[in-house]
Amino acid sequence: MRDDDVLTGAVIEETWLTVEQMAKICTVEPQWLRHHLEEGLFPRTECVADTWRFTGEHLRRARRMREMERVFDAEPELAALVADLLEEMEAMRARLRRAGLD
Amino acid sequence: MEFKDYYKTLDVPRDATVDDIKKAYRKLARKFHPDVSSEPDAEARMQEVNEAYAVLSDPEKRAAYDQIGRGHQPGEEFRPPPDWDAGFEFSSRGFSPSEEAAFSDFFSELFGQMGGGRARYHTGGGEFRARGEDHHAKVLLDIEDAFEGATRQISLRAPRLDAEGRVTVDTRTLNVRIPKGVREGQVIRLSGQGSPGIGGGPAGDLLLEVHFRPHPRYRPDGRDIRVTLPVTPWEAALGAVLSVELPGGSQKVRIPEGAQSGRQLRVRGKGIPGSPPGDLLLEIQVVLPSARNPRAREIYETMARELPFDPRRDERA
Repeated sequence: MRDDDVLTGAVIEETWLTVEQMAKICTVEPQWLRHHLEEGLFPRTECVADTWRFTGEHLRRARRMREMERVFDAEPELAALVADLLEEMEAMRARLRRAGLD
Repeated sequence: MEFKDYYKTLDVPRDATVDDIKKAYRKLARKFHPDVSSEPDAEARMQEVNEAYAVLSDPEKRAAYDQIGRGHQPGEEFRPPPDWDAGFEFSSRGFSPSEEAAFSDFFSELFGQMGGGRARYHTGGGEFRARGEDHHAKVLLDIEDAFEGATRQISLRAPRLDAEGRVTVDTRTLNVRIPKGVREGQVIRLSGQGSPGIGGGPAGDLLLEVHFRPHPRYRPDGRDIRVTLPVTPWEAALGAVLSVELPGGSQKVRIPEGAQSGRQLRVRGKGIPGSPPGDLLLEIQVVLPSARNPRAREIYETMARELPFDPRRDERA
């Protein structure tokens, strides 16, 4: 493999994504994200100089909420609740792994 | 190419109503949801269910599928007849082109080319210009890769526009350098490696979500690394300097006198590299030698006689 065949990427949590970038990745309308932000369904987001900043963690959350809404016709608040529970479950599983119990 | 029975995948009869199909899809989507399912191949099954739903939930796709599917059995060798799709107009609903690209060859052959090329994007001439779609994929790494960085080969199935503007699905392989210091769950963005743009628009990005394979010794926690450190009773009681094997090489660690099982030692800056680097968290586990050997038994008996030690004293207080 030659060096110029190798692609080097940037880690998103060291940068961040805008509403438009997130919307493209999650194949949703920017308005969908703005509505969910306004309703407080994305915790731990920050808005700097009128620009919302998303991280890799928000990316997973947005995809999960979109899936809940698309597959189960879930209300946004219910989709956010499911995302909260899945995040909680992940955190618990990570604690089990750290304790060597998984 | 094998024929796929989408009705069987969703477990619905061929005359199922739209509501029946939706209900069956939701039931299976719950059963195979990758976050909660205990089925070993949940992700692959969910993909099949999504594919079946993408076809059966769309009246045009379903009608075309029903027309060519008559008399075919699942798994049977299948080639669509020429112009099988004449008279149908397909559109993509619900699933994005990159999601559909992950479906089977059977799906791509029938619907990936948007009905044999009738649904074309205009290219050139400035008629229509759009940025290509972003792609999302998971990359599975060893924890050692986070310490040293790594290069991984990644295969992706992605929609592509051919010279005539038709959408086709192809597989491409990329060599990607994973930077040193990545953590579980982080997303790496490769600019311009998603779908090509349309009409001269810029290409989309490729986003790789980092996951670590479970390791028998190292348990990552952000950039910290937890390791269980087995020690002898005398190392724990008297203190010792021990050598701990880490991905970046061995590291000498001082065990303080009187260390107990379950106690955690933090070695700053020896976890996954970064700014700041993570810590190494050593969980002490005192391991007793067996008393089967007569000499070992004698030593235990001497300790029992001579050490005034009762670990259950507090329970009685």
